[in-house]
Amino acid sequence: MAYLEVSGLGRDFPGVTALDGVDLSIELGRTHILAGENGAGKSTLVKILTGSDRASRGSILIEGQDPLEHPDMFRKIAYVPQELSLFPDVSVAENLFMPFDRTGHGGLVSRKRMEAEAQTYLDRFGIEARPSDLVRHISVPDQQLLQIARASTNRDMKVLILDEPTSALTAREVQRVFDVIRGFLDRDHAIVFISHKMEEVFAIGDDYTVLRNGEKVDAGLVAEIDETGLIRAMSGREISIDDHFRPDAAVGETLMQVDGLGGSMFDDVSFALRRGEILGFAGLVGAGRSELMQTIFGFRKARTGRIRVEGRDWRLGDTTSAVAGGMLYLSEERKHHGIFPLLSLRDNIGISVLTLTSGAMGIDFAKERGLVRRVIDNYSIRASGPQQRMSTLSGGNQQKAIIGRAMATTPRILIFDEPTKGIDIRTKAEIYRIMKTLAEEGVGIILISSEMTELRRCASRIITMHGGRITGDFDAATTSTETLVGAIFATDSASDQARTDAEKPHVH
Amino acid sequence: MSTDTHAAANRPSALATLIRNPLAGVFVALTAIFAVSAIISPYFMTAYNLSVIARGVAFVGLVTIAQSSLMILGELDLSLGTIGGLCGVVSGMLMVQAGLPWGVALVLALMLGMALGLLNGFLVTALGLHSLVLTIGTAGIYGGAILVLTKGVAITGIPEGIQFLGRGDVLGMPVPFLIMLLVLAVALFLTTRTPIGRYMYAIGNNAAAARMLGIRVDRIRLLVFTLAGGLAALAGMLMVARLGTAQPSIGQAWVLAPIAASVIGGVATTGGVGSPLGAIFGAGIIAIIENIIVLFGVSPYWQGVVSGAIVVLAISFDALSRRYLRRDGA
Repeated sequence: MAYLEVSGLGRDFPGVTALDGVDLSIELGRTHILAGENGAGKSTLVKILTGSDRASRGSILIEGQDPLEHPDMFRKIAYVPQELSLFPDVSVAENLFMPFDRTGHGGLVSRKRMEAEAQTYLDRFGIEARPSDLVRHISVPDQQLLQIARASTNRDMKVLILDEPTSALTAREVQRVFDVIRGFLDRDHAIVFISHKMEEVFAIGDDYTVLRNGEKVDAGLVAEIDETGLIRAMSGREISIDDHFRPDAAVGETLMQVDGLGGSMFDDVSFALRRGEILGFAGLVGAGRSELMQTIFGFRKARTGRIRVEGRDWRLGDTTSAVAGGMLYLSEERKHHGIFPLLSLRDNIGISVLTLTSGAMGIDFAKERGLVRRVIDNYSIRASGPQQRMSTLSGGNQQKAIIGRAMATTPRILIFDEPTKGIDIRTKAEIYRIMKTLAEEGVGIILISSEMTELRRCASRIITMHGGRITGDFDAATTSTETLVGAIFATDSASDQARTDAEKPHVH
Repeated sequence: MSTDTHAAANRPSALATLIRNPLAGVFVALTAIFAVSAIISPYFMTAYNLSVIARGVAFVGLVTIAQSSLMILGELDLSLGTIGGLCGVVSGMLMVQAGLPWGVALVLALMLGMALGLLNGFLVTALGLHSLVLTIGTAGIYGGAILVLTKGVAITGIPEGIQFLGRGDVLGMPVPFLIMLLVLAVALFLTTRTPIGRYMYAIGNNAAAARMLGIRVDRIRLLVFTLAGGLAALAGMLMVARLGTAQPSIGQAWVLAPIAASVIGGVATTGGVGSPLGAIFGAGIIAIIENIIVLFGVSPYWQGVVSGAIVVLAISFDALSRRYLRRDGA
């Protein structure tokens, strides 16, 4: 019998069956891939496994015991969510051991002993921070690793569920996470790994279970399935992963010219965006890509430089005039910069078209309903209806709503910042297709992505950034991934700028 | 989860929609409390008592409309009470001591209220301060100004002409109550049917996202703070008209009650949800409770304890029912 044995699990919500007849068995010493599209039921299953939700039917056995009768068994299961859920203004050590009942110091907390103990975890997980640092001040990858370390301070923990643990990480840091995961397995633990990234699934997985529409559709050994097979199981249809989404239209005149732009996290950035192209931006987390784009959009202040759009001077530092000028920036941070969580889907979409739907007598609700309906249909947003609360939609559907809302304003320049973060393969392809169509219609598109495959599939041209500066400008179709990665890491970084200048003649 | 795939098939019924309407809960509570009061006290349903309640709700209701609008926006203005008091006193001084026609005095005092609200909004947006903290400070300043101006003594001799605004009846309804209903109608039109209202909810939900959509976040904030200051001033002046004197204590009861009323009515202190209508229902609940306590002859010393406890009960009940709904709903 497996360590964790789930059989016939079901969960009903009024009018909806979120899970039905799900079986799952987790063996110690192995990594179990839990695969499925957004909305397949993964989160509901995880909630039930960790005891924060109850199944409507079916059974869970941990070490052969029913955790509903022995609630202590839930302590054997630890869950690390995709979103960072640390206390930013509290030290690394305190974050690790909160609520302190695991440090074993009785009722009092000894900072010295706690920090000494924290150091052993930081070493084991390769976290480059001091125990006394505030979490706010350490890097995002370190925060992500700290979340995993925190889960592992629970000595009862046997099964560690990681939900997209690499979404904010670059290749090198992913390697660190994988090393940590492999380290665990030696010590008689099991990992449940949730990811949409195929490379990772095949790099780390031993067993897999695929959910689709709340049901288990496939399970087995990772060694016995290939990428196409896994994607077919998840989506229920054939999706070619080799498709390219580069726009086919001829590249037109310059739409936007950025000259010598500088701001916090980046300096002296110049580039041109042309009509009909998807311009990719590659770089490590912290390379300054998001900050650059947010500055162009007016969300952050520029220090130096200027921008011309269609030959006219572009006003900096004012999002209202940027939007009025036809530019939109779709943030990587859907939660913080995108959605209005407590409002309905209708309000979330309708908010960007109020100038179209309102007149002297206020908002024309019939007109608004029509426009919203069209966005929901065109972008195949799956929801119970326009009144559904935004926060209850799946991540992929939230993202499609945000894109659809942006499109309803007929922008001229669209900046996508990691548009497919945490989004399943089928929805990804939908988003790629939307970008391609828009580019071919003459919208200038900028795509920031940490996934090299994504950039290579979508972008016509790729600009690489490192340490806040542009390190290269490549034609996507003819440049090798190795060249791009070299430019992202700017390997001999002592003379970044000199290198860039020297390289420019070659890469154009 | 697979909610999205399955749920499209079964649309919620009209009744379910009604029950789900966040205003339904507080409306039922208001009706229930009204009905219970009518049953347990023979004096409750008398025309006189009802008009006392309506007149009382009118003043605190105006401030409640202002406060709930700010709360939707994610802000809070603790100086609304003292703005109301100060503007009431100033209008009295303009009428009595400066001898201005009462129409001019009212307009000037109204503009003062809007200016004070605007000042709050300006300090909040320009300095990036938390409105709760900032307005504790400005409440002290405005309240202090009342004492400086009046030396703690009421201004008497308010012209008879304006007392109709506070004491009069039209169609059997107190004038201030009718004014409050009119303001409520405008506020509801603003919040539900205009872009500005939508932007208010958006900003209260997620100000950064609102800026990302090009919404002029600070301008909306300034507007609502200004209007809120104006409403507080209106309440203060109507109170002067009702009392016939400009008391320095006007507005002291308008600090916490409007916040409690808003929360009871489903307006979250964290912003982005609720409606001024719900807040007015909340104010109605508080007013009826306070009225029934008086009718039952509860010792004045105990009135605060009892009405406070009932407010806590009402809020707890609301929170529990919400949690229950969320557990069942997806």
